[in-house]
Amino acid sequence: MNDIAIWTEKLVKVYSQVKAVDELSLHVPRGSVYGFLGRNGAGKTSTIKILLGLARPTAGQATVLGFRVGHDQVAILERTAYVSENKALYGNLTAKELVRFTRGFYPNWSDDAATRYARSFEIPMDRPFVKLSQGTRTKVYLLLALAQGADLLVLDEPTTGLDPVAVDEFLRILGQDVVGEGRTVLISSHQLSDVEQVADHIGLIDHGRLLLEARLDDIKSQFRLVTAAGNALAQSRSTEVVSVTSDGNFCKYVVRQNAEAFAAELRQQGATVTDVSPLGLREIFLEMVRKEEVCTSGNAAGIPAAVSSSF
Amino acid sequence: MLLHINPSSGVPIYLQIENQVKHYIASGAMTPGEALPSVRQVAADLRINPNTVARAYQNLERDGVLQTVPGGRTYVAENPTGLLKSEKIRRLRPYARQIAVEGTQLRLDPQEIIDLVWQELNALEEAHERHSDLDRKAR
Repeated sequence: MNDIAIWTEKLVKVYSQVKAVDELSLHVPRGSVYGFLGRNGAGKTSTIKILLGLARPTAGQATVLGFRVGHDQVAILERTAYVSENKALYGNLTAKELVRFTRGFYPNWSDDAATRYARSFEIPMDRPFVKLSQGTRTKVYLLLALAQGADLLVLDEPTTGLDPVAVDEFLRILGQDVVGEGRTVLISSHQLSDVEQVADHIGLIDHGRLLLEARLDDIKSQFRLVTAAGNALAQSRSTEVVSVTSDGNFCKYVVRQNAEAFAAELRQQGATVTDVSPLGLREIFLEMVRKEEVCTSGNAAGIPAAVSSSF
Repeated sequence: MLLHINPSSGVPIYLQIENQVKHYIASGAMTPGEALPSVRQVAADLRINPNTVARAYQNLERDGVLQTVPGGRTYVAENPTGLLKSEKIRRLRPYARQIAVEGTQLRLDPQEIIDLVWQELNALEEAHERHSDLDRKAR
């Protein structure tokens, strides 16, 4: 398990009869930048809270950096840095005071690192935290995380509320100083373009369930949009068809892999394949979430239903 | 070396980097022995994950395009043509097939398809000559 930073098995969290997390099994490789994606309310923050010991799972189990959640919580917290969505710290303290306050909690703290990053991130160390911009607050968090010597950074919606220049600076620091040396970064977000830029692994959840977990490069090399003229092919022998839309003349298929074999199958059926093109993360995200809705809205036959409903 | 990437295109970022480095070398903008910026530098410049840059460099090294010396610096390989001819053809064949399939589907004549490849080869050659001219003038 040494190569897995976060592992969960069939994790469940029920809040007053609502399943916020539904049998979630995650595998976050050590050293990866893992984009934890889902729309608002998909269960991202609930999952993170369980991992950090801020909420108790209703069922299932999890380990973080090899330590069991709910048993070795101190060991987990010593090695983990968490940047919450609202980026709240003691507002009246300056960054310098926050450093002095924080260092005592962490056995691996490095004053050298704190000084070095304060300089390279250009943080005004003597200004109260509340007076700092959102972008600078994020940098203070990153400084504390790096000085703490964290092996795992959990960033909950880190770019929300940042202007484009601050986002750009955040991504630069992530690439230059944060990623590497075996450090794992979990970024929970619905800002797909930011995640697409830095993540190497993706976990996509909706309604508390995992829809897709894979290397981002593999997802991009395998998902394809296939356009064809001719009869709709509802089922395929060679691949998983994520969605089908048709206007009567043309059909658009999103397939998860083996697009070439699928195109050959279409040609065999007498259709003319006009295009096979790659998809961006945003389109893949939307297709996967939509597919989930077709399947959960009572249409057991999923794919044919999507064909007929769009005529 | 100036790289440009489009993170939201469907093409994996490591492939975008590989293709650009190859193009730089094929067009003579980068020459054998020339040093590439470090993985971390490229990651910071492009605002991307260093693992992605490392993957591109590793693939290029495996293909004999780049060389990394002990200590970590990466250079354009001195002899990128060290591969066997049969291996080179094996690697190029999928692209040739794609051109053939796409061209035929678009109802282009075989000669038009071949002309197109010639034009691209000539463009590369011209770029190469321009770069060597510049080099000569710089000296």
